[in-house]
Parts: sequence; structure tokens; C-alpha cells
Amino acid sequence: MTRDLWKHLILILGALIVIAPFYMMVSYSFKSPGEIDRGEGGFFGRQEMMVDERCVKLRDPDRDDVAAAAPRFPNQTDSQIRDALVAEAVADCQMRPIAFNYTKAFTEAPLLRYLLNGVIVTASIFLIQIVVALPAAYALAKLKFWGREAVFSLVLFCLLIPVHAIALPLYIMLAKVGLTNTYAALVVPWTISVFGIFLMRQFFMTVPDDLIDAARMDGMGEFAIVWRVMLPTAIPALLAFAIFSVVAHWNDYFWPRIVVTGNRDLFTPPLGLREFKGDGDGSFFGPMMATATVIVTPLIVAFLVAQRRFIEGITLSGMK
Amino acid sequence: MADLQIDHVTKAFGDTQVLKGISLDIADGEFVSLVGPSGCGKSTLLRIIAGLEGQTSGAIRINGQDVSGIRAADRNLSMVFQSYALYPHLTVAENISVPLKMRQLSASQRLPVIGPFIPGARNRNVEIAAAVKHAAQTLEIDNLLDRKPGQLSGGQRQRVALGRALVREPAAFLLDEPLSNLDAKLRVQTRAEIAELHRRLGATFVYVTHDQVEAMTMSSRIAVMMGGEILQCDAPDEVYNNPLDIRVAEFIGSPKINILPVEASDGALTFDNVVLPTLAPKNLSGPVRIGLRPEALRLAGEDAVLAGQVVHVENLGSEIFAQISLAGHDGRVTLRAAPEQRSSLYIGANVGLAFDGSAALLFGSDGKRIFNPHTVPAQSEVA
Ligand SMILES: Nc1ncnc2c1ncn2[C@@H]1O[C@H](COP(=O)(O)OP(=O)(O)OP(=O)(O)O)[C@@H](O)[C@H]1O
Ligand SMILES: [Mg+2]
Repeated sequence: MTRDLWKHLILILGALIVIAPFYMMVSYSFKSPGEIDRGEGGFFGRQEMMVDERCVKLRDPDRDDVAAAAPRFPNQTDSQIRDALVAEAVADCQMRPIAFNYTKAFTEAPLLRYLLNGVIVTASIFLIQIVVALPAAYALAKLKFWGREAVFSLVLFCLLIPVHAIALPLYIMLAKVGLTNTYAALVVPWTISVFGIFLMRQFFMTVPDDLIDAARMDGMGEFAIVWRVMLPTAIPALLAFAIFSVVAHWNDYFWPRIVVTGNRDLFTPPLGLREFKGDGDGSFFGPMMATATVIVTPLIVAFLVAQRRFIEGITLSGMK
Repeated sequence: MADLQIDHVTKAFGDTQVLKGISLDIADGEFVSLVGPSGCGKSTLLRIIAGLEGQTSGAIRINGQDVSGIRAADRNLSMVFQSYALYPHLTVAENISVPLKMRQLSASQRLPVIGPFIPGARNRNVEIAAAVKHAAQTLEIDNLLDRKPGQLSGGQRQRVALGRALVREPAAFLLDEPLSNLDAKLRVQTRAEIAELHRRLGATFVYVTHDQVEAMTMSSRIAVMMGGEILQCDAPDEVYNNPLDIRVAEFIGSPKINILPVEASDGALTFDNVVLPTLAPKNLSGPVRIGLRPEALRLAGEDAVLAGQVVHVENLGSEIFAQISLAGHDGRVTLRAAPEQRSSLYIGANVGLAFDGSAALLFGSDGKRIFNPHTVPAQSEVA
């Protein structure tokens, strides 16, 4: 009984530690700058009307504005008209912090464009990874050829190479062929996933040999077997791999930061976060956290949808 | 349709020699059963014929053509696997249609989504669907067509596997224990279906089975395999009545044949000092063995050559099998008797047994068959 209690206490503690940053992120994305600075307002903040200083500043009336507005305010001095205009601007620039943060997230930087880039890059990476990994894994698991074990050892060896170690040579190579600042630079280095090959090979090992032989008897060639038999039976493992791959590349900040220099059209969502890094006029934590929330939402939704299959895939119990 | 030639095929997995020189000619349209104990290499031989496994030496010829370098997919054979090997992600109907689709549709017609719209695909697909339906009806699985293999029982899966093989008209069918998981009724019925299909198509069949009844009833010839060799390949009644090796005699027939150690000298055989009604070649002497089918033995009174005590009786209704422990022999012999004889076959009864001299099969000490010079004339039975 007490052991159970302890177990749960420790698990809850672990869960809290994992969830805390997410909680902060979502909470900040709801709050006004003042509330964030002072650390008040609970989870949702008080959602009191706030004034967007920048918006007001942008509408600061000059002499022409005042002159143009004169007919609306008869019998008033210029400075009175000016004050009235400023008051109007302030009224227009009032909004709830949550609306402020999220509109800022989408207007301050072309977040939709970044999201689209993210989708293009992660989808291309994943698709090409599959095109490469499935036949490779099939060969390593089911075909007998000279040197198979050696090749598989190489795959295992490659699993040990950290990406940061080869980032510089990769960058230089890409720069030499003039591919920096292109989608190709974001995609190409990741298209051969040794982890994918390894994972799929382990799964294919569990597929009965007779099934492959039956496919051969039915007239399928080896490639047909990969796409028509192995791929469909490996869906759970593929989903698991999809999550690993998509999460890693959707959230990747390091590599896009290196190969995309300047061209904002190629920014992936994590690079978009940089747009809100504190510049002169105060911190922009609210919109920044709103952006972060927008970026992780697709992943969380996808995970919840695929949760059951995902766990199946991780335990590799898709097939008996 | 094709004939198959298996020419001195050997197969070794590492150091273990699994097939030791198998030669077998199978004529076009023949139905050959491979029988033999578990692990004797039946599946391995079938896989070598199919091209799924390479032989260590020897050759396989289909229609006279050496197929050594030809892929399994191109040998135009169809096979039922012992483990069913159904595609787990496809429904029963799709499973059965795969071999037709792979062979009758072009690559573009097989494409997902757009495939069905390629010219000609529609007609082919209709034909395929009809063939699948027909195969499913024959095997009584037409109500399961929309299920996945995971939702089927073992026997149902086996029928789907059979359907997938039978839906085509290949050069030859290779069936690896295709009925092992069916219930008795369905087994008899499917057996008849396969035999009927064989007659109708006139196709070549190689059929692996553990079930002697299947082998005896369906085959043109039975090949008895043991320890990686074919001991005998003959018509069913020939294998039963005239086994060439004591192992064949012991393997074929249920209940098992009775083997008695006997002494040969001067053209006569003696068991426990009793002269048997079977002649031996004149030059034969020393210990040999005779085999007596249970139905070759009969209960006898005065003229009995063997005597013993009933130790176990199995009444099957239409016949009785009695196990009798013989005096001067530590094994038992099995006697097949008619139901009317039940009264004399109670446990503990002392009975005498006789047999017709010509019914005994004589085997040398090496297990090879020795043909009796002739059948013993009736008068010498009173020995
Ligand atoms: N890939 C392999 N590697 C090593 N040995 C094998 C391999 N495949 C089969 N064997 C061995 O070859 C022998 C024959 O196997 P096979 O499957 O042909 O037997 P079988 O006659 O079909 O038996 P069963 O009636 O039980 O199906 C067995 O002893 C088996 O252990
Ligand atoms: Mg077998």
C-alpha cells in the first residue's frame, strides 16, 4: 500500500517536472506582458483589456491627420483634436491579452508560411526516409547476401554518430554545391535514417518467412513485396517511426538555423520563434509563447489521434 | 500443365544433410503424395521445387527445362504453405485475388487508386472477382470474404490458403499439408474437392501429407520419404501390399504392420521354433523379419501357428482390433477381426492365430524386402 503510494508520488512528481514547461508556455501565451513580468494572474491571467503600445505609437497623429480630422471636431483647438485622436487610437488598440498574443504571433512574423515550410520539410524528410529505409531494412532482415552482417554493423555504428559532430562537414559540402538556403539543404541530410532502417529491420525480422515466400509464389518481385506486403504489415512500426521522425524534424532548431541564413521564406516554425527575441522595446514573451503553442499543437493533436497505434508500434506488437 | 523431374537433388543446411539425393519423375497430370515422418525433409523438397530454396546439388526440371536459375515467381507453380502464410492486411477476397492480380493485371492496372481506371482493368477485375467468388464457394468460405485472416479460425485460414493456390491454373500445384487443420467432415469434403479439381484440370499435384488416408485415396503414386531419401514411390496399393523396405511397411498402414523376428534356414522360416507357412529363398539363413498386416492374421483353432493372450481390445463397430501378446515374443501383434468374433476376444483370452503364407512380407536383416520364391502351397500349412 505505502509502496504504491510512493510509486505514485514519484510518478506524479516526474509528470509535473515534464509538464511544467508546457504549462508555463501555454499560460504565458494567455497573459499580458505585465502579468508575465509580475508572475500573477494564475493560469489564464485576468484577461483585462490591455493597450498595445506599439499600435498606439503607430497611429500617433501628425499634423495632416489633425487637419483631416478637423471637420469631425468643430470648434476645437488642434491640441484638443490631437488628444481626441490619441484617445480614439488607444480605444482601438485595446484588446484582451490572449487575442493580443495570438494575433501578434500570426502578424508579427509570417507564421503560416513557417508552418507550411515545416510541413513541406518534415513530410519530404519522412517520405524519403521511408523510400530508403524500407527496402534497406527488408534486405537486411530477409535477403541473404554476402556481407549482410557487416552492413548491419555499419548501420548500428552510424546510430552512434551524433548529428552535431558531422554538422560542419555537411554544411561545407552543401555550401560547395550551392544548396544552402534551399529546401534541399533542410531535407537532404536527413533522408537516410539509420534509426529508421534499424527500427524497420527489427520489425521485419518478426514477419514470417513463409509470408514472403507466399508473395513470391504469387508472382511478386522483391520490390513489390516491400511495398505490397512489408509496408502494410509494418504500419504500426512505421507510425512509431513517423512520430520520432516528424517530432525531431518539426522541432529541429539547430540544423535550419545553420543552413538557412537570411532567407525568411525558408524559415521553419522553430526559427520563427527568433522573431520575438527581446529587442529594444521590451520583452515579447506573450506572442512568443503563443507562437510556440501554435507550433507544438499539430504534433500534440497528431499524437492524440495516433496514440493507440503509436504505443502498439513502440511495443512492436502489431503482428502475431 | 507440366511434368516435373527431380534429379538427384541434395540439400544441406550447414553440416546437416537434409535431402540425400532425391530423384523423382512426376508425369504431367499425376498426383503424387509425399509422406514421411516429421522432419524428413518434405517441406524442404517442396520449397526446392518451388524455387524458394536452392538445392545444394542436382536439378529440377519442369517440362524438361532446367529451372535452376529461375525465380519462384516465374516458375508458374502455386503452393499452399504449411503455415498458411496469408497476407494479414488483406481481406479473404483480396488474399485469394492476389495471384490473379499479380499475373493478369499490368503494373499500371495494379496501381492503387488510379489502377482500376486504366483501360481493360475493369473487365479483368470483374473476371478476377468471379474467379475468387467461385474458389470461395468451392471451399465454403464465401461468407468470410470480407474478413481479415486474424478474424478466422485455423481451419478457415487453411481454406483461404488453399483458395489462393487453387484459384490459378499453374504448371503444377505444390500443397504442404493443406488439410491438416480441418475437421473430419470438412477434410473428407475438401479431399474430394481437390481430387475432383485434379481430375478436372488434369494438373500435376505434389501433395505433402501426414494423413495416410489422404495419401491412399487421392494419389496416383505415393512417395515415402524418410531421413532425406525416398524409400519407395509407387501406386497406393503397391506401397501398401508390396513395401520394398521395412520402414515403408511400418510407416504405411494403420494400425501398424506386425513385425516378427524369425529364423530362416533351408528355405523355411521358424518363429519360436514353430515353422511358419511362408517359404524363404533357399540360400537365406539367419535372423530375418516378417511383416503381417493386422488383416492378414485370423483367429484359428487347431491350425494355429501363433499362440498368445489378448491384452487389449478396440472395438470400432465395423471391425475389432485386438492386441495379442505372443508367447515367446515380447512385443504384441494386432489382429483385425470381424465384430462377430467379439465373444472370443476378451481380455485375458488365450487365442491361436494363423495366416496365409503368401500374405507375409519378408524383410532381410538390412530392412530390405526379400521376395518369397513363391507362395506356400496349402498342404504345407499343417506344419
Ligand atoms: N532453414 C533451415 N536451416 C536449418 N535446418 C533446416 C532449415 N529448414 C529445415 N531444416 C531442417 O531440415 C529438416 C527437414 O525439414 P522440413 O521442414 O523439410 O521437414 P518436414 O518433412 O516438412 O516436416 P513436417 O512434417 O514436420 O512439416 C528438419 O530437420 C529441419 O530441422
Ligand atoms: Mg513440413
